[in-house]
Amino acid sequence: MKKIFSDQRGFALLNVILLTMITSFAAMILLNAVPRAKNPQSTLRLTALYVANEQFAQLESMAAAGELNVGSYSFQGLDKDLTTENAGAPITFKVTTQVTDGGGNLRKVSVKVSWTFNAQNFELASERMMRVVEPN
Amino acid sequence: MLSRIKNQSGFVFVEFAIALPLIILLVYGLANVGIKIFELGRNQLADYVLEEEAHYLMERITHQARAAKGIEAINALNKVKIFYRTSDEGNTALTIDDVRETQWFITHQKKGSSARNLYAKRQDDGVYLNPITGDNSFGETTLVNLKFSELNENVLHITLELKSLVTDRTIKLSTAVYMSSCEEKSGLPHE
Repeated sequence: MKKIFSDQRGFALLNVILLTMITSFAAMILLNAVPRAKNPQSTLRLTALYVANEQFAQLESMAAAGELNVGSYSFQGLDKDLTTENAGAPITFKVTTQVTDGGGNLRKVSVKVSWTFNAQNFELASERMMRVVEPN
Repeated sequence: MLSRIKNQSGFVFVEFAIALPLIILLVYGLANVGIKIFELGRNQLADYVLEEEAHYLMERITHQARAAKGIEAINALNKVKIFYRTSDEGNTALTIDDVRETQWFITHQKKGSSARNLYAKRQDDGVYLNPITGDNSFGETTLVNLKFSELNENVLHITLELKSLVTDRTIKLSTAVYMSSCEEKSGLPHE
């Protein structure tokens, strides 16, 4: 046994230097990739923002016609706009709307758009004040 | 000196024959991983540009449509004309056409380019000088679709589809805008 070990030689300095260079190059490449993992959340947020705006536009139209009452509303826009493929796979948004009294002719409109991605729930909440026009 | 060199032993051919393919394999693998990672970076920049341009287009169109006095959409050509009145409409010395200000959003493809960009124009005719998408060094985009329709009375529905020519990824945004003082509409199918 002792003879076997005594016959063996260790790594030369050159071996170690080359190995370190290759390893550090590989580590540099992999570390570079870590923060670049794809995350489509910003795209989904942007899509959700415009879905919320669609709901606001419809409610503004109702307010201009004097038809916006206090209460909750379902999505008033196009149903096809609730599904997006901007993140690769289809994702469906759920829109909830609550209209409360803002004093006088004003209504406080809260629109929440929620979605699930990678088993996590996300939500975009926005509010707007609208003036209900009284019918002549 | 000569005796020192004589004492050193070099690689034998078999060692070299084994080491060379291994090195080639290693370098090839590392180069591939490196290329993939740099491509990922490039693609992410291109996706960012795509998202940013789609956002900017939507904001600009909805912002301008909100104040429209009239709108004329030509969906087949992906273009729209929004017009406003900038002066006192009660001024009898001026006709409506005198005070009318227009904003066109027109799709146009430059000669030799594979990208269809959206241009903002103030006149009905003239050259295309004001592209509001494309020509971004981080990634070229092309307009796939820009459609306008009417949801309710004076509620303009807009669908925008923009594609990155770097990643082939498409972003589709739909929204609506209430045009409170819009009086003239044409070319808007009812949804």
